[in-house]
Amino acid sequence: MSIQVLVFYLLAIVSIGAAAGVVLARNPVHSAIALMVTFINVAAIYVMLRAEFLAVAQVIVYTGAILVLVVFVLMLVQQQDLPEFHGGRPLRIATGFVLGILLLAEVLAAILTRSLRGQPGPWTPDAVAAVGGNIQAIGRELYSAYTLPIQVTAIVLLMATIGAIFLARPETLAERIAAARRIFTISLGHPKGTDLGPIGELPAPSQAELKPASFTRPLILAKSADEFTEQPAWGEVVRR
Amino acid sequence: MTHLTTAHFLFLSAALFIIGMVGVLTRRNVLVIFMSIELMLNAVNVSFIGFAWEQQALTGQVFALFIIALAAAEAVIGLGIIVALSRRLDTVDIDEVRQLRE
Repeated sequence: MSIQVLVFYLLAIVSIGAAAGVVLARNPVHSAIALMVTFINVAAIYVMLRAEFLAVAQVIVYTGAILVLVVFVLMLVQQQDLPEFHGGRPLRIATGFVLGILLLAEVLAAILTRSLRGQPGPWTPDAVAAVGGNIQAIGRELYSAYTLPIQVTAIVLLMATIGAIFLARPETLAERIAAARRIFTISLGHPKGTDLGPIGELPAPSQAELKPASFTRPLILAKSADEFTEQPAWGEVVRR
Repeated sequence: MTHLTTAHFLFLSAALFIIGMVGVLTRRNVLVIFMSIELMLNAVNVSFIGFAWEQQALTGQVFALFIIALAAAEAVIGLGIIVALSRRLDTVDIDEVRQLRE
């Protein structure tokens, strides 16, 4: 048994164990950490498969971007450890495991009886080395045969960005105006931020904290005068 | 099995995919379901790259690259939906979410 096979078994066992940890862990944060272990092990397996660029992309995109996003959302949605996540659904859990084992048996049978083999492609290790390496070879393939899919992927990413902005937007008009007011209050009139409460409850800022009164400029672009009537102007403090 | 074959990588891919599928089917926390979906996407990537390695072609790697890009887009939208869900219904339990409108 060569060292390569031993390394593969090590990586495979760790990644499968960590993947099981993702599903079995009670705390979602532990799931996220186990997922990170899985991703990094899978990246190492990509290196064994001579896909160096994808290994790097895997580490950067999955563990660097997606997992950080997941942990941020975990923080935002304020998880409490809900016991009903695990108990009380024996039928569903049994169904899930039975379906999983059935599908696993089918796929294993398919892998073991696989007989179709395609023609070997042009990218032998020597050919990849001749163009300069894995990244150069992928670049040639990507920007010759897959130019249109690349453009479509760019549009998909743009749509995802717009969709995320739309989803994260406050739902009602009043909430949107309140959010805008919070931001403008922090940035314009309020030296200490808004954590301490509404402006009226704070001690009056000293003269040093205020901008000079001579500096007059239209504060906020509001559609109607009513929207921002309580904003403090430069050099004065509004008391409610 | 004294040397690596494509079957090794396909077995690994199948195992990861099934684990992710069981996670989607059994867990109730939306975030864990989301992570299981990411796991399944990764398992498919292992298959693609394993076949690319076997065939000495780069098509599989290119497709894996597209999958990574689409997984990033999916992550953004999925997590946005989870945030909107928890803001509106104040839960991440998938069983609590059973109607399309209030």
